[in-house]
Amino acid sequence: MAANNSQPTGIDKEQAFGMAETEMEYRVELFNRLAQTCFNKCVDKRYKEAELNMGENSCIDRCVSKYWQF
Amino acid sequence: MDKGILAGLDGLPEEDKARMSAMIDHLQLRDSLRMYNSLVERCFTDCVDNFTRKTLQKQEETCVMRCAEKFLKHSMRVGMRFAELNSQAATQD
Repeated sequence: MAANNSQPTGIDKEQAFGMAETEMEYRVELFNRLAQTCFNKCVDKRYKEAELNMGENSCIDRCVSKYWQF
Repeated sequence: MDKGILAGLDGLPEEDKARMSAMIDHLQLRDSLRMYNSLVERCFTDCVDNFTRKTLQKQEETCVMRCAEKFLKHSMRVGMRFAELNSQAATQD
């Protein structure tokens, strides 16, 4: 291998972009699943009003925290 | 997800930053469309059960509006908490 490591080769760069993209997609997917799950667990489906009440708000905060710990 | 990520990429050449920026835009667009679709499906499933009429009833319309608003508010709140946890995790490493 050449001693010159200051310039990334074409292949390394593509790999780096690929990994960055995969990482970002993973985060988006994580967020989406988290949002779905916590909505299902915390929000009353009868939709009596348009606002989130205090109970739902706390539930959401705790749900996100727990899911994150997973 | 926002362009705050780009702040960490200052060392990169312009073309790489532009590429990352385009990638983020693409992911955001795709995610917005996905969220829209899942919102429609969810609110339909939760609010519409009666098919004796082919137009939406008043009660169904109200339900759908509340559902949409609740889901979006929920989504924003989750986003805030997610960002907090993300930055906590980043500073701990």
